[in-house]
Amino acid sequence: MAFISAGYDPKHPMQDRITDIGPRKYDEFYPPVIAKNKGKWLYHEIIEPGMLMHKAESGDEVYTVRAGTARLCSVTYIREICDIADKYCGGHVRWTTRNNVEFMVEDLETAKALKEDLNNRKFDGGSHKFPVGGTGAGITNIVHTQGWVHCHTPATDASGTVKVVMDDLFEEFGAHNMPAPIRISMACCLNMCGAVHCSDIAILGYHRKPPIIDHEYLDNLCEIPLAVAACPMGAIRPSKHEMPDGKTVKSVAIKNERCMFCGNCYTMCPSLPLSDKEGDGLVIMAGGKISNRISNPKFSKVVVAFIPNEPPRWPTLSKVIRQIVDAYRTDARKYERLGAWAERIGWERFFEKCGLEFSEHLIDDFRDPAYYTWRQTTNFKW
Amino acid sequence: MATVEFQGISFDIDEDGFLQRFEDWCPEWVEYVKESEGIKDLTDEHQKVLDFLQDYYKKNGIAPMVRILSKVTGFKLKHIYELFPSGPGKGACKMAGLPKPTGCV
Ligand code: HEM
Ligand code: SF4
Ligand code: SF4
Repeated sequence: MAFISAGYDPKHPMQDRITDIGPRKYDEFYPPVIAKNKGKWLYHEIIEPGMLMHKAESGDEVYTVRAGTARLCSVTYIREICDIADKYCGGHVRWTTRNNVEFMVEDLETAKALKEDLNNRKFDGGSHKFPVGGTGAGITNIVHTQGWVHCHTPATDASGTVKVVMDDLFEEFGAHNMPAPIRISMACCLNMCGAVHCSDIAILGYHRKPPIIDHEYLDNLCEIPLAVAACPMGAIRPSKHEMPDGKTVKSVAIKNERCMFCGNCYTMCPSLPLSDKEGDGLVIMAGGKISNRISNPKFSKVVVAFIPNEPPRWPTLSKVIRQIVDAYRTDARKYERLGAWAERIGWERFFEKCGLEFSEHLIDDFRDPAYYTWRQTTNFKW
Repeated sequence: MATVEFQGISFDIDEDGFLQRFEDWCPEWVEYVKESEGIKDLTDEHQKVLDFLQDYYKKNGIAPMVRILSKVTGFKLKHIYELFPSGPGKGACKMAGLPKPTGCV
């Protein structure tokens, strides 16, 4: 397309420049019933999966219909959301902290019609565009990252793995079958953008090979001390490297037996790539939560050391997650989050009930705090 | 990798316009970059920032933290942005010939 100026003048970049204006204020976009009853809500009910009702002191009611989205979406898709909001909600709509979309109306009949409309909208391939659900003790949207769509450090794909898992657990999105909500999160490398470290079930991209060192360019492209300091294991040291042409260059050396493939050094230094088709895959973690309800917040723990990347449908991944979800649903008590369940029955029982293999990879060996994760008691079950 | 010609000198640069080799830096590089970084005239203050970045890089192998840059030059961050509208990383480091900033930028 030919260039079309927006009015910006590259000869005078600072002229008419608007800056530091921040985001639009949230209350500009309130539906009238929300603006009116703000701070005066009495109670709420979950009418049915995907549909909430909030009652205000004034007697006003607002019905919220929540639908899943793929998070990564086109402008066409957003326009369709706007059309729906125009039709039912006076042009108002909101997104949740788990990237579901919520439409708000003021009476139950409209909410029901809206839910039906949303559930009937499909893409050409047959997938639901706006499946209604995500409330209560079910499985809501998966918080996820960039993957092969946009990042340069991933060990797996985000959108792909998430679609696979949500397909497999689709019924649970529109139902309340679980003892407590299950939060599943996904991150495509252990930078853990997002919520994998504090989710009931987490999918994490994982490398299994040390970086390749591009000695020829390393000193030109990298600040060597930063690469050295990036390593949690002290595996990297500065070194001189002799090139085939006899020239000596500044570079780094990596002790492979100390490297645990975190990829931090690549984040700091483009000459240390480590992604690998066969080496890379997934780790599954479980048992984290962020609420203070009953028990304190918890980190998720590693429960599966490696699942290969199997694009496009990652069958082993969805099988393993299904195993964990089924065992939890069958065994846990009401209100018990997955981590609370595992801690009550004991992690040895968790592995048994979920049919997961326990390997040496799951035993913490990172610095002094590793010790506290071992069992200093004879209390255990055979 | 692309190569650009300026005043008879050729520079290897990446897609963001950073020099591929610090050794290739020369005063002409600054002349070449300044327009794309929104700088009309190079002042002594610009030069002070560039000189410090280069000294620090030669001595330490890294670019200084922003607080060190401010402390040594005496320029507050706001003033550094006035000098280099794209900021100390994309603007000043690029002109000084330092490697491209990395990490979650
Ligand atoms: C080379 C031989 C031994 C070593 C290296 C050793 C080492 C230790 C250590 C490190 C502790 C833990 C102390 C603490 O918690 O701070 C301990 C506790 C204990 N040891 Fe030994 N021990 C030895 C022999 C024995 C023998 C022969 C007996 C009894 C006949 C014994 C009885 C105990 C008892 C009862 C405790 C528990 C104390 C408590 O409850 O705090 N130990 N031992
Ligand atoms: S988790 Fe890692 S790979 Fe994924 S988006 Fe974040 S930094 Fe990039
Ligand atoms: S991948 Fe991680 S552990 Fe391995 S050398 Fe790089 S920073 Fe160190």
